[in-house]
Amino acid sequence: MSEKATQKLVETYRGAQSALPGAGGWLARRRETAIDAFTQTGLPHRRLEEWKYTDLRQVLEKAILVPAPAHDGALVLPELHSATAFSAIDRYVLVFVNGVYQPGLSQLAHLSKGAELCALAEVLHEQWAKDIVERRFDDARQAEDIVDLNTALMSDGACLRIRKGVKLDKPLHLFFLGADAGASHTRNLILLENEAEATIFETHMGEVASFADIVTDVALGEGAKLNHVKLQDESSEAIHLSTMRTRLAASSKLSSFTLTLGCGVSRGQNFVLFSGEGAEANVDGAYALKGKQHLDQFCVIDHAVPGCTSHTLFKGVLDGASEGVFQGKVVVRPQAQKTDGRQMTHALLLSRDAAMNAKPELEIYADDVQCAHGSTVGELSKDAIFYLRSRGIPEAEARRLLVLAFLDETLELAPHEDARDALKLLVSDWFSEAGL
Amino acid sequence: MLEIKNLHVTVDGKEILKGIDLDIGAGEVHAIMGPNGSGKSTLSYVLAGRDGYEVTKGSVRFKGKDLLDMSVDERAAAGVFLAFQYPLEIPGVTTMNFLKTALNAQRKARGEEELDAVRFLKLVREKAKPLNVTDDMLKRALNVGYSGGEKKRAEVLQMSLLEPSLAVLDETDSGLDIDALKTVAEGVNALRSPERAMIVITHYQRLLDYIVPDVVHVLSNGRIVKTGGKELAHELEKSGYAGYGADAA
Repeated sequence: MSEKATQKLVETYRGAQSALPGAGGWLARRRETAIDAFTQTGLPHRRLEEWKYTDLRQVLEKAILVPAPAHDGALVLPELHSATAFSAIDRYVLVFVNGVYQPGLSQLAHLSKGAELCALAEVLHEQWAKDIVERRFDDARQAEDIVDLNTALMSDGACLRIRKGVKLDKPLHLFFLGADAGASHTRNLILLENEAEATIFETHMGEVASFADIVTDVALGEGAKLNHVKLQDESSEAIHLSTMRTRLAASSKLSSFTLTLGCGVSRGQNFVLFSGEGAEANVDGAYALKGKQHLDQFCVIDHAVPGCTSHTLFKGVLDGASEGVFQGKVVVRPQAQKTDGRQMTHALLLSRDAAMNAKPELEIYADDVQCAHGSTVGELSKDAIFYLRSRGIPEAEARRLLVLAFLDETLELAPHEDARDALKLLVSDWFSEAGL
Repeated sequence: MLEIKNLHVTVDGKEILKGIDLDIGAGEVHAIMGPNGSGKSTLSYVLAGRDGYEVTKGSVRFKGKDLLDMSVDERAAAGVFLAFQYPLEIPGVTTMNFLKTALNAQRKARGEEELDAVRFLKLVREKAKPLNVTDDMLKRALNVGYSGGEKKRAEVLQMSLLEPSLAVLDETDSGLDIDALKTVAEGVNALRSPERAMIVITHYQRLLDYIVPDVVHVLSNGRIVKTGGKELAHELEKSGYAGYGADAA
């Protein structure tokens, strides 16, 4: 623990420790273990294979690591289409500013019976919350170690429990706004009991130099169904570190889609663990980067039991000197026969200075499985542009048409129809604004 | 309509067209025949304005304007249409969306009102029917998974919808069986009009049995070496290109 950023974060913990939720209880002890582990390993750096393309240690060296101040006063949304992308959809809204829950700004009236929603501090006495926080995923430990930092410092978050057989009647929108520079450590806990269903939207935005560290722990009971649509449109100074860990019981289904239109340095991690047969996980996404934006998608799907299906498709376009990373791994354990696992990543480079690193991996220990993975990096086809122009379509329009067509395949996978339409509009706007 | 004078074109530093002269009036259909490598496709790409084809000498005037001065899409809006030998597959763009975007882009460039969805749909269905282009094809991504015949029919549909003044058909017969060839030729013939000129580029005489030209040119080694009536195509069918300074192909 010699380097500065790790040290600063540990100091922040020591200073804040007694004021953090759950002081004196099981979580306080859990935080101690976590900070010890974090102190041992330190922030991940590029010499670790999982962090090869995103040196978090170096990135955080210059970042503001002290917590962002508590925000008071009126909420001023950035003038971005993303801010209102989901507004037309009837939904529950939970607003967090600088990582702190804002009840006054949230709309939660008449939550369905059988659905419980609250902020992190209010749920810590519940056994389910403890169980979910203490869960560990075995694979990709190095990528997951960073969760220790979050466990130690987590201060707020959305906690949703849907009781057995209950379907949340409207989507729940978690809106995270960075209004002031500084760090926030958010932990969301989501439990869908057997046969329960919910749709969650997540928006992350801000125009400040924020460091958002978010862990979302999800447990899906048998036959449960979670749709998740995440939209990220943050400033080019923002650092975003998010980890979603989902454990799926038999016949449950996760459909998670992430659209990233703005970030400074962003690392999005997705861990999926199948614990019951016949479950399905779709972890897909799209992104459009420009300037010096850096986006790293890291995805591990663990087929620990037989008969599960996973699908991952990330597609993105990179302009300017932006950099994209996709690292994915599908693990098929020896007993996981009849697995169907697919993992694909495709990137389109719109500029000579843009770069993409892709590393999809398969680790298969069972013999009766269907698995595929692949990756392509290319540029717009000159022939295709010529073909469209030869029909009278001006060059800019031809390029836009081709890029949107490229992203459309993955945008189609966003699991909520109205949200999908909203995302498509945003992507279209992005291209108009980027002048491509 | 189209006046080509002493046109020299190089591709990758190599001269492909070595002085082409061609004069095509409204209402005329000219066939350009020639062996592989004679410069037929180069001529079609130069007219459409593709990158990488450098005009080193000569001029091309279209409706009295300098065609070489116009961008690819400006030429299209002015009325030049190239039916591709190998139409490109464009995943993710439906044929319907593509047709609408193209038609409205051209109308906009010409200062005409763009068509709304309802009027467009009516028009496209009317044009698609005689070409056996089904609604299902229109809903699919442009040329993706189309058979050879479907691709060529889709090209003719584009032509029919965009109503160019000059249509250049580059090896439209390639890859077609006789039935598909007939459908495509009927579609092309339906578009013949006193206001429209056509250049039909082909290696074989077969296509010209269905699209009967007014004038036939033989292109060999970058030059037009012979010009005649439609009977010239039949002569070539018998004698091959051997007598025209090229290997029999």
